Amino acid sequence: MPGRMAGRRALVTGGAGAIGLACARRLLAEGADVVLLDRNADALSAAAGIGAAPVACDIRDPGAVAAAVTRAAGLLNGPADVLVNSAGVYRIAPLLDLTPGEWDDVLAVNLRGTFLAGRAMAAALIAAGRPGAIVNISSTAGLVADAAEPSAHYNASKAGVLALTRQMAAEWAPHGIRANAVCPGVIDTPMLRMMDDPAAGAAYLRTGVPQGRLGSAEEVAAAVVFLASDDASYLTGATVPVDGGVTAI
Amino acid sequence: MRAIVTGAARGLGAAIAGRLARDGADVVLLDVSADVTAAADRLAAGVAGAGGGRGQVAVGLVADVSDEIASAAAVDRAVGAIGGVDVLVNNAGIGGPDTDVTGTSLAEFRRVLDVNLTGTFLMCRAAATVMIGQGSGGAIVNMGSVFGQQGVAGGAGYCASKAGVALLTHSLALELAPHGIRANTIAPGNMATEMHWDELRSRAARSGTTFDEQVELVKASVPLGRHGTGGDIAGVVAWLVSPDAGYVTGQTIGVNGGIWFS
Repeated sequence: MPGRMAGRRALVTGGAGAIGLACARRLLAEGADVVLLDRNADALSAAAGIGAAPVACDIRDPGAVAAAVTRAAGLLNGPADVLVNSAGVYRIAPLLDLTPGEWDDVLAVNLRGTFLAGRAMAAALIAAGRPGAIVNISSTAGLVADAAEPSAHYNASKAGVLALTRQMAAEWAPHGIRANAVCPGVIDTPMLRMMDDPAAGAAYLRTGVPQGRLGSAEEVAAAVVFLASDDASYLTGATVPVDGGVTAI
Repeated sequence: MRAIVTGAARGLGAAIAGRLARDGADVVLLDVSADVTAAADRLAAGVAGAGGGRGQVAVGLVADVSDEIASAAAVDRAVGAIGGVDVLVNNAGIGGPDTDVTGTSLAEFRRVLDVNLTGTFLMCRAAATVMIGQGSGGAIVNMGSVFGQQGVAGGAGYCASKAGVALLTHSLALELAPHGIRANTIAPGNMATEMHWDELRSRAARSGTTFDEQVELVKASVPLGRHGTGGDIAGVVAWLVSPDAGYVTGQTIGVNGGIWFS
């Protein structure tokens, strides 16, 4: 649907990551102007080749996030009215081995970063009196537990993103800002660890994923851009799994 | 794309059929009301007028989805009219009696289950059989409700029917995934439809308030501050039946302006 996002100003955090970059590509393809945020400056400058403007930013740092959102508004000629919170890290550790430092590191990016970027974007939009849409990348790991690949800090951060999304939806609906979450399942990106053991991974796809395959970053991006578009004009606070049926339970 | 939309003579169903047609689908509009023929004619004329051309088809069929023989026959006729079926949208539904359980007759309870739940089952069974035979995948969207996710005093039959639709759909998604057929539920909130206005008239009469007061009460309860429209639902249907939702199955998508988070 070319033009569905024409005139929209989009900010994508974690913009150099697989899902963030796929979201940026789709937003650009549908007519939006896009700014990419990422803390990895090298990956960011490579990613910016798709036609988006890069802004280096550590999403954990409130001052850096505020400065980046202001810088993005300058690059976009106005405050961003689409925010995709895609910055995230994934770590594996059984609960008994999980250190408080590791816990804090994951929560700082995945949950605190989503809060900081969402708050900065919404504050600018509300000040300008304009509507907008936020799409937060959560995970099916925020909905179900997994003993085989233990990551309580990641799972808790992603469940936290769902609660945060609902609160954004409730508080900012009167300002015309919608907030929704996408929960990717097993998606074919460098972050995925499930296929490190190809035989075990293939067995899981056969038995644990009704559609029997990995999803693609492009399929996640398609859901994200749908939620940001006017086709989703009456959706807010919703959780949308993109998981091949894993949570069809 | 070849699509069947039930309950398509008016309201949400008409809006869904219109959107799918504008997106390029051949559409069969199904309804228990004979008005569906005129609705299909208007849609066909509108799409042709908008430059749809391409020989696109919009056909109206009259059938009661809760009737086993009639619903199966309607799917057969639909397949004959548009050459197969890739998309089924089960939108046909009734509101139920607005009475407490202790004051609801068995006939009234059964009627809402028959149309909303059994009708959805019958249409899914017939259309999924065709889709499996075609071997080219497909997508089913069933209309649940936010009132299949939360209870309402006076709405037990309706709520039970819509909760049933969601779990019927989840089960169907698991069964049909190996055939490349996806199945999802949309759960609308308070929509600007005749069914909802009827409900508000009933509430006004029961509570000694006016219809307009009831409308304002509902709007005030919705974070986005308004009723949903057919266009709001049609946009979500268009996404769910498209390749853009190719990895989405067995889900319930709430389209409710923020009144319920799921």
